[in-house]
Amino acid sequence: MIPSILAVVIPVVLAIVVVSLYNRLVRGRNTVDNAWAQIDVQLKRRYDLIPNLVETVKGYASHERQTLEAVVAARSQAINAQGPADRAAAENMLSGALKSLFAVAESYPDLKASQNFAELQEELAATENRIAYSRQYYNDAVLTYNNAIQTVPANIVAGMTGFSPREYFQAPGEERGPVQVRF
Amino acid sequence: MIAWFAAAGAVGLWLLLLLALAVATGNPPVPKNEVWPGPATGALAEQSPAVVDLITGDWRLCDEAPSATLLDLAAKGAVGIEEIGPELSLVRLRRDPGDLTAYEKLVYDHVRSLAVDGVVATGALAEGSRNLSRWWKSFRKKVISEARAQGLSRPRWSRAHTVLLTAAAAVPAVAVGIAVTITDRKHDGGIGAAIATFALLIALMGKLNGERGTELGARTAAHWLGVREHLAATGRFSEAPAASVTIWGRHLAYAAALGLAPRAVTSLPVSTPADDRRAWSDYGGMWHVVNVRYPSRLLWGRAPLPTIGRGLAAGFFAGFWTWIGLLVASAFDVWPDALVQPGAYAVGLAVAGLPLGYAIADLGGRAAVRGQIVRLRQVQVGSKGNNRPKYVYWCAIDEGRSREAKAFGISEELWGRLSEGDRVTAQAGRRLGWISEIEIAERSRLRGTDTYDDTGEHRLNAPQNLGDPPSA
Repeated sequence: MIPSILAVVIPVVLAIVVVSLYNRLVRGRNTVDNAWAQIDVQLKRRYDLIPNLVETVKGYASHERQTLEAVVAARSQAINAQGPADRAAAENMLSGALKSLFAVAESYPDLKASQNFAELQEELAATENRIAYSRQYYNDAVLTYNNAIQTVPANIVAGMTGFSPREYFQAPGEERGPVQVRF
Repeated sequence: MIAWFAAAGAVGLWLLLLLALAVATGNPPVPKNEVWPGPATGALAEQSPAVVDLITGDWRLCDEAPSATLLDLAAKGAVGIEEIGPELSLVRLRRDPGDLTAYEKLVYDHVRSLAVDGVVATGALAEGSRNLSRWWKSFRKKVISEARAQGLSRPRWSRAHTVLLTAAAAVPAVAVGIAVTITDRKHDGGIGAAIATFALLIALMGKLNGERGTELGARTAAHWLGVREHLAATGRFSEAPAASVTIWGRHLAYAAALGLAPRAVTSLPVSTPADDRRAWSDYGGMWHVVNVRYPSRLLWGRAPLPTIGRGLAAGFFAGFWTWIGLLVASAFDVWPDALVQPGAYAVGLAVAGLPLGYAIADLGGRAAVRGQIVRLRQVQVGSKGNNRPKYVYWCAIDEGRSREAKAFGISEELWGRLSEGDRVTAQAGRRLGWISEIEIAERSRLRGTDTYDDTGEHRLNAPQNLGDPPSA
């Protein structure tokens, strides 16, 4: 009698555990996807602001060609980057190019006084800040998810059902802490 | 006996007078004291959400009012609310908040005091070094002040009522005094009894005081209850996040004040006590959550030296009782005589070994913990002699490496010098979790931000029994 009860109870308990772990992993993966989508939204917003910024700067400092071209090149590299690590590296390069552009703007009082430029600068600074928070949110979600799929017993379920670790949004060799870019 | 009957009659008459005035001064419309909603309308009148909260809540301010005020500030462009993810939204300060009312400024200043680079996470609005009870009272006073200035609200007792009731209270007080003087053999308790009676009656009068509506207030409240019906019928505010203020504008702020937007209100904990276990830290320059644990293990949060003493005592008692037990067992030939003492020593050492080992390890080498204090808590664990409460003190430090922090035990003396937000370097034992030294590298930037300490700005008769602060 007891063996037959165990033969029924053990598979049922195992099935409940597996389903519960699987659902937890799916929730974690969806959180990561959602967090990535948030980063994507903010990055796209930045890509959209940059052409306006370049045009505005061109109107006042057209002979700063090299700096402007660097920004445009960094933007297109960032748009074409694939995967979190490559994209983080490209975004860092773009942030550096934008910093140089704003440094150049310091030498042009008319440009600095332009309301359009000031608004764009503020909007870009706010977008940078949002990107930083989105990045922190994404990396926290990835940490939780990666911990879940690599620890016992969820790793067994993850291995069977094809869950794989996600990449952090960070350039190679970069710390995973908060990164703030200030213009 | 006649004197006592007279005194009782005088007190009774005074109580009748108090009751009559209390009924006459209730919320309009008298005597039903109930405001009925006007026709459903989407027309927003000139009152702010906080004032609307007051007048539609039976002239008691609810804890939605500060959150509704923040939503109103967002709708007016003084701040922005942005959603980053399902569990993370940001409040961003704008350049110029413009003209703010006193209570709007109070909320704005709270946000500004927390902001890092002009940004604070919505969950972090419960953080800060303010005294929440005082902050709430200040907020309430300022809202009441505006409601009175608009003729929507008034104190229950006018000056005439106060003078009348105070003067009338002298009669039963004197009557009680005379009765006591006559009854008392020494004839010296009458004055005291009269003063005590007078104080008691005045206290009762004060207790019944509170904010009450005016006729205009009742009409305005009826209009806003009509707006509530309109918003309840047309908007899906209950699940609207705070960031949806970008779409809904001031309607969301009013929906929050009228109790229709619980999700938005909950996500803006402006007047809510900070969570003990879920702290928000800005260590590293960006707001993030730190989950704090207060381990209740026997060997965590303990000072090493007392732990050695307790370990030795526990080892001694365990060994002693084991020895007694084994002696009895050996008398019945259940345990060999030769192993009685070794057995007792083994048990004693086993019991004392772990605390002694931990304490010695912590005394030999402490780790430096660098970071920002995110939680300082005291927890009562019993009482000492003379019924004095006994506390344990906890200090949780965000080291910036993990989203988890295990609170350390700390002495009362060191604990008292610290405040949340201080950047510190602590010397702590990793085994027993006890901070033996702590150095403050940088004081919390949230210190000295008590802008709500309004003394004189709004001196008004707003009794303490009106609108209790939100419960912890």
